[in-house]
Amino acid sequence: MAETIENSLAIINSKAPYSNTAGKDALDIALIFGSFEQAISLFFQGDGVWQLIPAQDGASIFVNDYLKTFAAFEFYDIEGVYVCQKSLQDRNLNEDFHIKGVQLLKQTDFAKKLAEHPHILRF
Amino acid sequence: MTTLHIIRQSAYTTTDFEQCIQSLCMNDIIVFIDDGCYNLQHNLISTIDNSKKIQLNVMKKHALARGIIIDESIINPIEMTALVALTFSNDRVITWQ
Amino acid sequence: MNKLVVVITTPPFSNLSVTAINYIETALKLGVELVGVFFYQDGVLHANANAYIASDEFQAIEQWQKLKQKYDLALHLCITAAEKRGMTAESKNSIDELFIVSGLGELVELTSKTERMVQF
Repeated sequence: MAETIENSLAIINSKAPYSNTAGKDALDIALIFGSFEQAISLFFQGDGVWQLIPAQDGASIFVNDYLKTFAAFEFYDIEGVYVCQKSLQDRNLNEDFHIKGVQLLKQTDFAKKLAEHPHILRF
Repeated sequence: MTTLHIIRQSAYTTTDFEQCIQSLCMNDIIVFIDDGCYNLQHNLISTIDNSKKIQLNVMKKHALARGIIIDESIINPIEMTALVALTFSNDRVITWQ
Repeated sequence: MNKLVVVITTPPFSNLSVTAINYIETALKLGVELVGVFFYQDGVLHANANAYIASDEFQAIEQWQKLKQKYDLALHLCITAAEKRGMTAESKNSIDELFIVSGLGELVELTSKTERMVQF
């Protein structure tokens, strides 16, 4: 049985990045938790995986390009960044991301990793 | 170590329920509430892996309000007090909305 | 005692808020210690003092008021999310006084104090 990381928060990102603010709202929480040195992990599932693909240009459609901030995860001590392999496959996407350190997880491992966190929010 | 999954959306509208099914671990609990009750009619229910021994519940009031018939041989109808109890008898909660 | 934090991210004018308030009220009745409620995203609209909801519809704010009178509720509002939606702490009659103007730092605090977190 996997151990629980005390008081850690997992955020599931389930929305594509531009037509709503879910990704940015989730990012703001992640950065605050990071800066308070509270354990936080980010999970990308479903349309959330679109937040990770390379060669995006939100600025051209007047979206403040918050995805660029993902590169600072390491600086904020956000270590766990997980993506659901099946969600990538369902969208014909390769394992190619605009940030380093993304861990690709099979369905069962994704579920298990998620269950290591006592608190979970989904955006 | 189990998770309580609260489903609030119809799988005919969003993929929330599908993603929930992909995220189930052994002995997890599902509760359908709000528009999640419409999933009682959805074929996805039958795709839940039996070997994971997932317990299915529905907020009785929410289902009946929507004219959804509860097949009690598959789904356990519950009240709000039970949802609160499940919040603490499981180790974490994910709301799929 | 069981400790609970509720995060509300859905707006007050949908039936989803009836469920959220019913859940919180039930938890309080059962003796759960509600560490706090945190309003984020469209959830902050619960605190909009200028919303007018027809009298035959569900009055979310009245329900919060009743709950707050009966139990000592801490209703925290993410001010950044509120300002985006036209609400401000700078003027009166914008954010209902039932709510505490907070930021995401409060969510960190609440998370560190609770056993369970539930999103509605």
